[in-house]
Amino acid sequence: MTLSLPQRLKRELAATPLDGAVSAVLIVAITAAAIGFLGWAFGRAQWLVIQANGTLLAVGRYPVEQQWRLWLLVGLLAAATGLGWGLLRGRRWPFNDRLASVLLVALGLWAPAALGLSLPLQVRWWAITALLLGLRWAFGRWGAAGLARLHPRVRRLLPLGFPLLYLIGLWLIAGGLGLGSVAPSEWGGLLLTLLMASLAMLLSFPLGVLLALGRRSELPLLRWGSVLYIEFIRGAPLITLLFLGQNILGFLLPGGLAPDRVWRAAAVLTLFCAAYLAEAVRSGLAAVPRGQVEAARSLGLSVPQTLGAVVLPQALRTALPTMVGQFISLLQDTTLLSLIGLLDLLGMARSVMANPAYLGKNAEVYLTLAVLFWCCCAALGLGSRALERRLDTTRPA
Amino acid sequence: MNQPSAECMIEARGVQKWYPNGFHALRGVDLTVHRGEVVVVMGPSGSGKSTFIRTFNALEDFQQGSITVDGRALSNDLRDIDAIRREVGMVFQQFNLFPHLSVLENLTLAPIQVRKRPKAEVEEQAYALLERVGIREQADKYPGQLSGGQQQRVAIARSLCMEPRILLFDEPTSSLDPEMVREVLEVMRNLAADGMTMVVVTHEVGFAREVAHRVVLMAEGQVVEEADPATFFTNPSHERSRQFLAQIL
Ligand SMILES: Nc1ncnc2c1ncn2[C@@H]1O[C@H](COP(=O)(O)OP(=O)(O)OP(=O)(O)O)[C@@H](O)[C@H]1O
Ligand SMILES: [Mg+2]
Repeated sequence: MTLSLPQRLKRELAATPLDGAVSAVLIVAITAAAIGFLGWAFGRAQWLVIQANGTLLAVGRYPVEQQWRLWLLVGLLAAATGLGWGLLRGRRWPFNDRLASVLLVALGLWAPAALGLSLPLQVRWWAITALLLGLRWAFGRWGAAGLARLHPRVRRLLPLGFPLLYLIGLWLIAGGLGLGSVAPSEWGGLLLTLLMASLAMLLSFPLGVLLALGRRSELPLLRWGSVLYIEFIRGAPLITLLFLGQNILGFLLPGGLAPDRVWRAAAVLTLFCAAYLAEAVRSGLAAVPRGQVEAARSLGLSVPQTLGAVVLPQALRTALPTMVGQFISLLQDTTLLSLIGLLDLLGMARSVMANPAYLGKNAEVYLTLAVLFWCCCAALGLGSRALERRLDTTRPA
Repeated sequence: MNQPSAECMIEARGVQKWYPNGFHALRGVDLTVHRGEVVVVMGPSGSGKSTFIRTFNALEDFQQGSITVDGRALSNDLRDIDAIRREVGMVFQQFNLFPHLSVLENLTLAPIQVRKRPKAEVEEQAYALLERVGIREQADKYPGQLSGGQQQRVAIARSLCMEPRILLFDEPTSSLDPEMVREVLEVMRNLAADGMTMVVVTHEVGFAREVAHRVVLMAEGQVVEEADPATFFTNPSHERSRQFLAQIL
């Protein structure tokens, strides 16, 4: 039975008098909030603070004459994204892809103009957007054929491109390819936030898996060591660990040898996240039925083979949503870095707001921060859901 | 019916097992299985049938007695255990297929990783085996997309892909709907006709009558009766066997 629009509205909003009253109150409240917010955002709000400090918020005090490195990196990332996207989807352009492309184009045109960038910089944005979508199109069309022509051995090595790209990125940021280096203390803003979060995610993942395996190990020393570590870390607030990390390494190592404060903070974030990931992986491991191990062992697979080919793939698949949730909180937790004096996105924002010229512009700055964080977390969430769907082997063929 | 040879494939002598909680699950079990022989193990629930056949590929350990499989004594030496497991296939009541791998990958995983055979050759063999159990067209699906009967046939093919000398079955049809039981028994019947050495825990009387060379009745961790199927089902010599048959026939 299909209902007409008024009928549907009535059923969904006002099935009973109480439902109707609740709906009415909510509609009024939401409308009022939206009008108030939009009125502020497009009327009273003064976005000059963001325009004037866009570079600071994006990359901190990264030396201007070295910023080409970051542009190059963004270009590389856009290329890799377009390439992977194209290979994944092929010639098809499903609705989500068309929507994403339109949003990307809109963003590529609007964001640089809204930020008040100079024309050459605006053109760079356009070029990067075009590169991304162009590669999406080209690799969707011809990528699969090109891939098929590669030697299988080469093809198997291709996924290694991602960690490689990451290392190249780090190297570029730190001043590779060219004269002079850029010390970590000069990294800041969104750049530092993303760098710290991604580094901690990448490194904490293997560590977390090892800890989870250690916790289930039959060797008592390994087991108790893992338990102790996991419970200690999970029992302590991150901020205390961050302060501890800044101080303890200074005590342990003579001044010059202690790694830079940025690296120390990255290490603490990694160690922190690993403990939580270990718990997620452990519950994933516990969810793998005993029969799986028995079947693998009775086929003659050794313990490591059973782990690698049968147990871990299933455990990680189960743990994926929890792990991504953990990554999302990690990304948000990087704001604590501002409390130990690093100029991450929040730290940079606070130093901007401390500037007397921008007194009273906190709302604009914080809203920008919230939107940026929201975009990053949404991207993580979308990525994880796409991965889950790909790994779901129970859906009907 | 295929005639077993005199060669011993499994020889269990006075096997005793206590579970870690102290439960005495096997109380001195003897059994000899010859090459090409089909032995059906029956018995009431909790009598130790699963425990017993799982000792043959060291999924369960035992404390006293001895078991020799294909000429190798089962000991605690891990290398020996791995060698035995390569030669002994096992089919479980719950199939235990690997849900994250396609049907084809389920079959080829162990031959490639354990026997180090080339992938192309193993895949060819896997397709042939799937053909033999009648589901070649499902090769690219995942286990979760198959019916129970199809899954159990994949599980049998998976064991066969390792080219085992002995196949153990632990109630392979007990979790299947009746209409799927037949297709799985059919596959097992063909295996028996080809001369595979099989130890089958099952309550399928028809299968036992038709295919088994010997039927063994276990109760309370011991072998109570051991006879050819005709004698076992019509004229058992022990009171315990008569009670059991009265329940299932
Ligand atoms: N891990 C264990 N720890 C302790 N006791 C166990 C364990 N596994 C099985 N048992 C006990 O050992 C006995 C034999 O179990 P087993 O599974 O071998 O019986 P079975 O003959 O296969 O029964 P069924 O027909 O129900 O499968 C049962 O009484 C069972 O409760
Ligand atoms: Mg059983």
